[in-house]
Parts: sequence; structure tokens; C-alpha cells
Amino acid sequence: MADIFDAYALADAWDEMFERPGEVRTAYEPVLAALQPIEPGELRFRADQMARSFTDRGVTYAFAGEERPWPLDLVPRILDALEWDFIQRGVGQRVRALEAYLADAYGPCRAFEDGVVPWRLLLTSPHFHRAAHGVEPPNGVRIHVAGIDLVRDEAGDFRVLEDNVRVPSGVSYVIENRRAMTRVFPSLFDGQHVVPVDGYPARLLAALRAAAPERTADPRVVVLTPGPSNAAYFEHALLARLMGVQLVEGHDLVCRNNRVWMRTTRGEVPVHVVYRRLDDDFLDPLHFRPDSVIGCPGILSAATAGNVTLANAVGNGVADDKLLYTYVPDLIRYYLGEEPILPNVESYRPDEPGQLEAVLDQIDQLVVKPVDGAGGQGIVIGPKADAKTLEKTRRAVAADPRGFIAQRPVALSTSPTLAGERMAPRHIDLRPFAVNDGNEVWVLPGGLTRVALQEGNLIVNSSQGGGSKDTWVLAEGPVEGPSRSAEDGTLPSVVPRQLGPDGTPTLVPEGAQQQ
Amino acid sequence: MTRRLRIEHTTRVSYAQAAVSSHNEVRMTPLTLPGQTTLDSRVTIRPAASTWSYWDYWGTQVTAFELMDPHADLTITASSLVETAPPGELPPAPGWPEIAGRVAGSRLLEFAAPTVRTTVPPKLVKKARKAAAGLDPHATAVTVSGLVADRVAYLPGTTGVNTSAAEAWEQGAGVCQDIAHVSIALLRGLGLPARYVSGYLHPEREAELHRPVAGQSHAWIEYWAGDWYGYDPTNRTRADESHVVVGRGRDYDDVTPHKGIYRGVAGGPPEVTVEFTRVG
Repeated sequence: MADIFDAYALADAWDEMFERPGEVRTAYEPVLAALQPIEPGELRFRADQMARSFTDRGVTYAFAGEERPWPLDLVPRILDALEWDFIQRGVGQRVRALEAYLADAYGPCRAFEDGVVPWRLLLTSPHFHRAAHGVEPPNGVRIHVAGIDLVRDEAGDFRVLEDNVRVPSGVSYVIENRRAMTRVFPSLFDGQHVVPVDGYPARLLAALRAAAPERTADPRVVVLTPGPSNAAYFEHALLARLMGVQLVEGHDLVCRNNRVWMRTTRGEVPVHVVYRRLDDDFLDPLHFRPDSVIGCPGILSAATAGNVTLANAVGNGVADDKLLYTYVPDLIRYYLGEEPILPNVESYRPDEPGQLEAVLDQIDQLVVKPVDGAGGQGIVIGPKADAKTLEKTRRAVAADPRGFIAQRPVALSTSPTLAGERMAPRHIDLRPFAVNDGNEVWVLPGGLTRVALQEGNLIVNSSQGGGSKDTWVLAEGPVEGPSRSAEDGTLPSVVPRQLGPDGTPTLVPEGAQQQ
Repeated sequence: MTRRLRIEHTTRVSYAQAAVSSHNEVRMTPLTLPGQTTLDSRVTIRPAASTWSYWDYWGTQVTAFELMDPHADLTITASSLVETAPPGELPPAPGWPEIAGRVAGSRLLEFAAPTVRTTVPPKLVKKARKAAAGLDPHATAVTVSGLVADRVAYLPGTTGVNTSAAEAWEQGAGVCQDIAHVSIALLRGLGLPARYVSGYLHPEREAELHRPVAGQSHAWIEYWAGDWYGYDPTNRTRADESHVVVGRGRDYDDVTPHKGIYRGVAGGPPEVTVEFTRVG
């Protein structure tokens, strides 16, 4: 009997579900068995159902000027316990190294003095915010939330594509994808030990509270959003709601006596931690863009004085520009004395002697990325670009070598994805989210798998027409349900690492109180 | 011989309509350096506001304050008593290759790269290179600054607070801020690290004791030739005991004397007076 997988032809890439045509990988056996007998018409029906439920819940995104339901493919992306253990350790290691780098860059600058990273990377970076010099994060954390983008290459090896340690977004889709899948397709989960993802808000809240200024008995956390017109507003609202904290805009906050207060109907109340979802440039018009009307004047001064914690910290952009990316393996060795667990994609730095020529010579075989591009913008994939684009890129790189890096093109792994009435291989990536509470870097099991919906396309961003997949991490045995703690209203306990004045550990109240 | 100067720097802002939620930073406190000792300093705000201070990335002392309640005007008074000494002899400068090496491998790079305000057309740098051909770093600073002072006439009112180096050169007129910016831009273009200095200049070299004289807040440059050396392009002289350093940065934006943001309607330009009294 013909089924939806019949015409599935493996592309020239690692396929997540099939080892060879017709030979399924162990982790995917139950899912394949559940999907195979389903009529294409029914799959369509479920996909439509899912789209409607996203539209109803307001889970949409703007594409070409139109609000569309969040595109979630029905076939999950599965990571087995071993793969996940590896990814989680690799992501944690990466975040620890980037934390050390930021502490160094805004502090003693050892890595520059020692020649591990050239000074110019710091001193000529538009993201090196000298106004953030002197901000000491209370528990040492600057990267409260990180999104580390991974791809899987032709050999099946995970590699880091880029780090996001400013204002990484997308975690709401991880939560919403799981919610939609369990409702629309509950049978797919039968007998599977899928690790839950709904523990994220409790983890995030615990980390934010742990980052509060010292001597704050019961810290108040708020989520600061640019407002409803922001593309990620849904996420800001969802996280605030799930954490049980206020969602505020700049004009809801006021700085007085070098402290931050929130305006409420019952007067001003103090704010201790601001989980801010707007960019550095808009945060404080006194120090950054004076025309910003969505920020809060004086907030940086309050942070410098240690009266409020900004999460993520101001100035983190020096740690995730694409040029610094090429140094991260060295940073891991330098700061942590460890070998990198997750390798980078092989990269060139055009601003180094000899490398510019190498890049220009083989530009048709490389991926060229602007150092400051976001959301897949400005990326040129050499093998797929026409002569005119290549010439333009060649000139742009020659004129501003510091502005670009070049990488070997990686054929991103493929995953079966519903295309019309049948399954077809489509390229995917993975953005795991890490939360640092100062004690440990916790990685949300799974993350956001994005999928390029057009055949052969390698750019997966939703702003460029990409979709997503529910991402499953399979536990070795039955799942204990870490989400239960969130349901009880208790939070994971966090004890800060730093010591009190007399050398004894200071205890912060554990976050049992609800807001 | 050392001298003692009392400086009173007053900034008055009147608002067309009462201003509220005003957040400010003031950089008006003289530094203590070799050759300059700040004996006393104070920043007072009217209407009364509580202030706090910190040292910024550039090593400048910042006084921050806020005025949340409606106010029709704002007066900032920075008073200080400073002892200054004449600069020492200039030691021989290191060679250009040595300077280039130090720039690439240290923080000096910060003062060698152009900023938005200190970006000038390449043909200007070429002109400066020609003028300074064969000169050592000290002589280069003097020659290039002279080139700028020849071209950019000191004409208050011809430029604004946001004028860039390129614009000032183009129109051939400006104030000390502009002349400093163009000089910095050209020296950086020649590979000599240079920074912007914000401070005060006593207007009379041989001032009478205890007689207050009106002056202005001033800007000049420092260049790096083994150490930092001050030069005042506007007055074509080395920075000396008449100069009082407040802050140093890549350009004006790093050392702005008063920076503020408030809710209200835009008012006219602030009224600034600086009074100098030599007391020793």
C-alpha cells in the first residue's frame, strides 16, 4: 500500500529519521509506525487544525506583511538521551566560556593582554558599550538566557552556527509547539518518554530572582517589552504570564533615587530585576539612542549602582558577533581549560592576513555572513548565488573585511516534513535555550527546531519563510516530570555561589513565594 | 612654578514649559594627574537634587542627578580649586614603527580608530601626510594641528554641538571642539593615537591674583608618543599650567560636560559661564 513516506528521497545530507532509504533510526521507530498508516487527507486536516489553534491563541508571525499562524510541522524532531547529553554539555560549556569572556572584556581584559583575542575585536566593536563598564552583575551572571544555534552536518556531527546572548527569542514557540502537538496528535506520544518543556518559566524565574541585587529579600521581577508592535510580543506576554510577573513597557517604569520603580494604581513599587526584551540601543535614552521612547531613562545608572539587575546584561553583543564566534573554541580552552565539546563550522576571518585572498578566490564555494546580520539577513550562499551577487559580495568583503566571516557551506541535516500530501526531506537546525542562574547552566530539553519549508533551502528563519518542529528529547526511562514543580508553585532552589563578608555562604531565600 | 586656580562653571537652562523627569550626567570635575592636583571640587544643582557620582570607563568623575518634579529652570554649578604645574621637557619620541606596534597590541587602538565625529575624507589625510613628511611624532602633532588651525578659523556660532570634523573642515570655521576633532582625525589617519580633552583654559597667561576673569570651557588634544602629551591646536601651544583637564575620550561624546534628558518641550541653548580666579 502506498503511504506518505513512499516517495521520500534522501537528499545529500544527514537525515534525522532514515539511516538509509527504508531504514529508520531507532529513536524514530514508534513515530514512523504511528505516522505511516495515516491517510494524507487526515494529516492535512490535523495540520489545519493546528494552524487554527495557533491563530486562535495569537501565536502568529509576520511574513511578507501578513500575519500567519505559526507554522509547525507534524513530524517531531527527536534527540535520544545520548545525543541530548552531548548537546547539553556542549551548550553549557559554550555559555560558561562566553560568560568568562564578558566578565573579562568588561573587566581585566586578560584574554586581550595574553593575545588570545585581538584588541580590535573589543575596541572597535559597535557592541562594546563603555557605558556598561562598572556594572557588576550581583551573582556574576551576564547571560541569563542564551540561544545557541546548532546545525548537524553531513556526518551527523552537531556544530555551532552562532551564539545569541543578547536578547534571544523563540522559547515561547518551544512551549507552544509541545502544547499544540499533545492536543492535536496525542497518539504520537503513546509509550514515548518525552522530556517535558514546561519547566522553563519556573527555571527562568528562579534564575532572574537569583540575579537580584544583594540584600533584596523578596525581589520583584518584571518583563520589559518594546510593546505590542514588536514581533516577539506574544513571547514577552507568555513568559510574563507563565512566570506570574508583570509585563511592562518603558513608560511603566521610572528611575528615582537611582532605583527603578514600577507605576501601579497603588503607587510606585520597587523593581529589582528587569528581564528586558529590548535591545541595548533602546534601553536608556540618556546613554544610548536619545530618540528611544520605549526605554527608561536612568536605568543604566541604577544598574551601575547595583540597585537593579538587567537581564541579559548590557553590552553582551561583544560576545556574539560572528567574528568573535571564530574565537570561541580558543576561549573555551583559555578560560575553562577544556576542549570544546561542540565544534564550530569551519570559518575564515577575512580581516586576517592571507585570509581575505582565500575568501575572495573561492567565494563561490563559501557562505559569506555579515558580522552584524540577524535573522539570516545578508547571508550569501556561494554555491547557490548568481554571478552578479557573487561580484557584489566580493566587493563588499574586500571593502570591509572586518564586516564579514566566511564559512564552509554545511548541508544541514534533513527531517521528513509534510509538503502537500506527502513527506519530503527539508533542512533543519536547532536552537537550544540555556538559563544561567549563577550556579549552573541549565539547558531546556530540546529547543526550537526550525525547518526551511522550500526544497533545498538552507535558511530556516521564520522571517524568511521557515517553519518549526516540536523537538523531543527522549529520556532513558519513564519521565519524572520536572514540570510538576511548576504546577506546585515551588521553584528549583538556587543558592548563590559567592560568599558573605565573613567567608560563609550567604543564603538567599528560596523562591517559594508566589508573586 | 605652580599656580592655583579657582574655577566656577555655571550652566543655566530655562525651559519654555516646566520640565519633568529630568535625568542628567555632569562631567565637570577636574582630574588629579601628574602636574595637576584637584584640591577641592563640588557640583551643586538648583532646584536641589541629590547627586551620586562614579568614575566612568574613561576615568572621568561623573556626577549624576535627577529632577522628577516640574521645574522651569535648572542651574548646575561646578566649582573647583586646582593646582597646576608647567609641563616638563618633551623627551625624544619613539619611532613610527614602534608606535604602530604598540597601537595594534594594546588599548591604544581605541584612540587610533576613527569615530563618526572624527572621520575625514582620505584626501585630507593625504594632505596632512604630505605636510608632516619626515617629521617625528611631536613635530607631526604641531604641524598637523597648525594645518587645521590655518584652515578652520576660530569663529564661535558657526558650528553646533553635533558638528563633525569633516563638516568643520569643509566650512573652514568652528570652535575649539571642532578644531580638536579635525586635528584628532588627521593624527589618527597618520597612525598617531590621539584623544579629545575636555577642560578649562585660563584666558590670561599672566593673570592678576584674586581678580575673577570670564573664560570658557575648552577642548584640546593629547597624542601618544611613548606617553600622552597635550597640545592645544586652537591656541597653537602645548597644554600648560593654564590648562585644567576634566576628561579624555575618543571625541566630545565620551566627555560631554552636561548630558541630560527630560520630558517637556525643547528649550533654547543653555547659558554657560566660566569664571577663573587665580589665587596662588
